[in-house]
Amino acid sequence: MKTVTIGGGQGFWGDSPDAALHMIDEGSINYLACDYLAELTLSIMQRQKRKNPATGFARDFIDLFKMGGSAALEKGIRILTNAGGMNITGCVEALRETVKAGAMPSCRIGYVLGDDLMDKLPALMKQGIEFRNIDNGRKLEEITDRIVNVNVYHGHEPIEQCLQEGADVVVTGRAADSALFLAPLKHEFGWAADDWNALARGIMTGHLLECGGQGSGGNFDYDWRSVPDMDDLGFPLVEMTESSMTVTKPPRCGGLITTQVCKEQLLYEVHDPANYITPDVTVDLSRCTLDDAGPDRVAVGGLAGKPRPDQLKLCVGYHAGYKVVTYLSFAWPDAYEKAKAAGDILMKKMTRKNLKAEEIRIDYLGLNALHLDVADTSPEHIAHLNEVVLRIAIRTLDKDEAAKIIPEVSPLQLNGPPGASFFGGRAKVQEVIGLWPTFIPRDAVSLEARVVEA
Amino acid sequence: MPKIYLKDIAHGRSGDKGDTSNVCVFARDPKDYPLLKRLLTVDRVRAHFGDMVKGDITRYEVDSLHGMNFVMHKALGGGATLSLRLDSLGKSMGSAFMRMRIDTDD
Repeated sequence: MKTVTIGGGQGFWGDSPDAALHMIDEGSINYLACDYLAELTLSIMQRQKRKNPATGFARDFIDLFKMGGSAALEKGIRILTNAGGMNITGCVEALRETVKAGAMPSCRIGYVLGDDLMDKLPALMKQGIEFRNIDNGRKLEEITDRIVNVNVYHGHEPIEQCLQEGADVVVTGRAADSALFLAPLKHEFGWAADDWNALARGIMTGHLLECGGQGSGGNFDYDWRSVPDMDDLGFPLVEMTESSMTVTKPPRCGGLITTQVCKEQLLYEVHDPANYITPDVTVDLSRCTLDDAGPDRVAVGGLAGKPRPDQLKLCVGYHAGYKVVTYLSFAWPDAYEKAKAAGDILMKKMTRKNLKAEEIRIDYLGLNALHLDVADTSPEHIAHLNEVVLRIAIRTLDKDEAAKIIPEVSPLQLNGPPGASFFGGRAKVQEVIGLWPTFIPRDAVSLEARVVEA
Repeated sequence: MPKIYLKDIAHGRSGDKGDTSNVCVFARDPKDYPLLKRLLTVDRVRAHFGDMVKGDITRYEVDSLHGMNFVMHKALGGGATLSLRLDSLGKSMGSAFMRMRIDTDD
């Protein structure tokens, strides 16, 4: 029976290349898919591209390809990635240069254009599409002058088309993470476009693999101490046949594949498990089964699919002001009381300087900066704190307003409660980018698959 | 019976989409799943998180995995870079959930 093996090589922009390289060497994989895009990544890439038109994609992928590309090409491992970000052709050019400079085997690079809808937005709005915010129902016209990027989450079709045209590497922009995994599986097994149950298995393969190490023992709440060799964590892969779907990992690396590991990833960032909506299929994983199938092997079953949605999700990033985050640390005795007093002093100064902030947030690292209202802030606990770091964050509409607090923090080492220690240098004003979740009719989007030689 | 932490009989993970946080919660031992279903009502979860979660909470059950998925809206202080929280993606919402005190006699 035909088995196709696919691995997840990267969980986000900034992930370690080690596991992907190990997987190419030892994973016996046919395909490697590398996901780089989170919700905000494209906005950040767009800002980079505006400063330097040669950037705007995940250069990490080029570095990974430099190290592992030759081995992958020689073994016939085909690679799929959304590393193209906001500059897909720039990413393809960088890949071609890498192949040339590294005397790598010649290859075919496929890429998908059309997810960036920034230039088409005015015409689409003129047609009457309001792009109402899914969360609050407001119309996009409120923020059109502040939009940073508009990208549609697209499905597997143009990726599969690149594979059909012989691409060894496929580069996309905002392909849905899991579409990178579905495309090669559908291509290999020849699944029909409306074989929803099969497509659901392909999409959930992506879901289980797209976060890299988080699917093989990283971030494992059930028993993180039991995960072997996290310094050498292998990433997960799926062995797919027409009748089985098995999650495992390459030999000779750390990590863990158990039903508990797979469970935690299975519902990660899912909302309604009976209706997990993707561009390619609506997945029903509410009756999913996970069974132990040997050491570091888990069999996945019970997945079902329903027709794909008529609308696609749009990822719109918009400029939403500025923020500054600044810190000051204090030690025992009375660490919390001192940190709180320093915060009060800063707030009084800001009031005097007429700070116009949209939001001000004060937290105490070591006490409640992560668990907030749920943290133990009882007097007995506070009395024994060895150290506390004051964290003040402010958000403003105007850049100069945000900057007001910056010079006021380090002087508190000499001018405030005793023992204050300032670290990390002066804070910087950061741009705030908001997300506007909305939909676009599928037929308003046209994607284009191209393949070039390298 | 003395109160225990939810983490003693359950495990899970949190994720984010915009200002929405989801926490999946699984029984460590399948025999505790009915107890979890009884204890972890939406009202109970809302009371646990207090002001941290300002929007609706929906609970979904996945019996085949002995787990539930809690989708909590307006839960991340604005979400993404709009949020001023240290943990703007809510990576620690899972452990915050597991901090709930429960009485296994309930």
